[in-house]
Amino acid sequence: MATLEFHDPSGAIEVKRPFAPRVPSLAGKRLGFVSNDQWQAYRTLPRLKSLLEADYSGIEVLPLDAFPQGNAVIGSEETAAQVKQSGVDAVIIGNAA
Amino acid sequence: MTNAVAGLGLAPDAAMVTFPIEMFLPGSDISPVETRKREFYDGLTRWRSAFGADGVAEAPMIRVENASMEGAFSRANDLMLANRWGDGLPLWPPTRERVSWILRGATRPRGHRVGIFPPRGGVTTVETCAIALAMAGGRPEYLPVLVAAVDAFLDPASGSAQLQAASGSAFPVVIVNGPIGAQIRLNSGFGCLGPDPQRPAGASIGRALRLLQQNVGGALPGIGTMANYGGVRYTNVVFAEDEANLPPGWATHATERHAIAPDQNSISLAFANGATNIRRRGAKKETPEEDALQGMYRMADFMRVPNMPGLSGYEHGTPGILMLPGVVANTMARLGWTKASIREFLWEHSRVPAEHLRRAGCPAWLEIDSSKVVRESIALDPWPITASPDNFIVVVAGGGHPTNSYWLQGYSPGVVGRTLELPPAFDELLGEAERDLGPR
Repeated sequence: MATLEFHDPSGAIEVKRPFAPRVPSLAGKRLGFVSNDQWQAYRTLPRLKSLLEADYSGIEVLPLDAFPQGNAVIGSEETAAQVKQSGVDAVIIGNAA
Repeated sequence: MTNAVAGLGLAPDAAMVTFPIEMFLPGSDISPVETRKREFYDGLTRWRSAFGADGVAEAPMIRVENASMEGAFSRANDLMLANRWGDGLPLWPPTRERVSWILRGATRPRGHRVGIFPPRGGVTTVETCAIALAMAGGRPEYLPVLVAAVDAFLDPASGSAQLQAASGSAFPVVIVNGPIGAQIRLNSGFGCLGPDPQRPAGASIGRALRLLQQNVGGALPGIGTMANYGGVRYTNVVFAEDEANLPPGWATHATERHAIAPDQNSISLAFANGATNIRRRGAKKETPEEDALQGMYRMADFMRVPNMPGLSGYEHGTPGILMLPGVVANTMARLGWTKASIREFLWEHSRVPAEHLRRAGCPAWLEIDSSKVVRESIALDPWPITASPDNFIVVVAGGGHPTNSYWLQGYSPGVVGRTLELPPAFDELLGEAERDLGPR
């Protein structure tokens, strides 16, 4: 019997920080969008806003322009700080393609 | 799309709702947002990562058995493809013995960390590089070039974090300067961007880099990279500048771009997403001056297009790499041309009329660019395809024939240089290559 033993080439994976905890329910929560303003985000995200507002009582979904938009700015520390300061419970980020 | 956030230290999975591309096109039907709204809601409330909160998941060893060694080799190749670690060409299984052999070319301990490969976030060590080089059919004396190329690739200035996943099909171009090019059999002459059994180092090093991009970085077509076409990605581009045929007074690429001393071994890494031959030579009774000038116009005219390939490196990167054969470079040098005057000519004569930009819808792309220099360039008419002539890369490489030059269209936020360290056993490794492959 011939045997070959070889390395998995994919390298180790480090998980250094967890994702944000999920919210138990969307009712009564404050949500925001962080949009790159690409790939029809100007249409899809407002639709999602309307759906959330129709489906959950007491929910507040901030308008699309509450935070800076565009690929050039949404990854910045400044945008992250604005999101934190706004007191939102969760954000939806879009759109990538 | 997966792996998009792992390079940030998060787990490779994330709460995502994905749709076919049609919904993201102008005038699309966006009703799927409503029919699948529950997935958005669940992503905010119920989703959990499949990975633990903290820690390192080490890659294991893999074992295959078969009645014959050929069967085991075949089984190993099948398994690597099934695990999405291959490129469709035969792979050398990275056994302990093979990887240890490659590591004779290491200058740092095998566990030395080179970086985190985006977008998946795989930890890349000297050993990880050696594993990829073993799979790619490489040799130990190639390892210093590969490790330096990976180090440059993972430098944030290279732009690799975005280019690994982007649709523009960028591929890394590694230009090697210094004596190591000839010593390890990198090609700088005829067919230097293609297969060559006499000078096989570039193919192995470039293939190993691609395997790292894919296996460690997760840049799998349609999953971790949205590259539409992915051209030149089997081996990327790895070649040496033809320093033996540099005209007197012309500096090497490493010295010009990175201020690296001429005899120092080094690599320079940029990204490109196009590769084309340009017919450079005249056809009739041109004087040497006319032949040179007409060739320069032909090259500049080819670059004068409103598809803005150089936008990503407009300020500090490169619009592309022009490869001139040594025989052409020497003729032009005798006529007074220098690398600097070639760059100046290309910059001036590749400028695009503003009207051509407008009719092609280019101003919208310029307006949304993150660079102020790019946004302000809208006012320039004709519009320069890069902010400065210095951004053009001109290298002497290619076969000793005057008809053609070559243009690697840049897609490169930066151009990153690294000097090379050589292992103590380097001369011994070169001797073994001579024994195994025959004289250089």
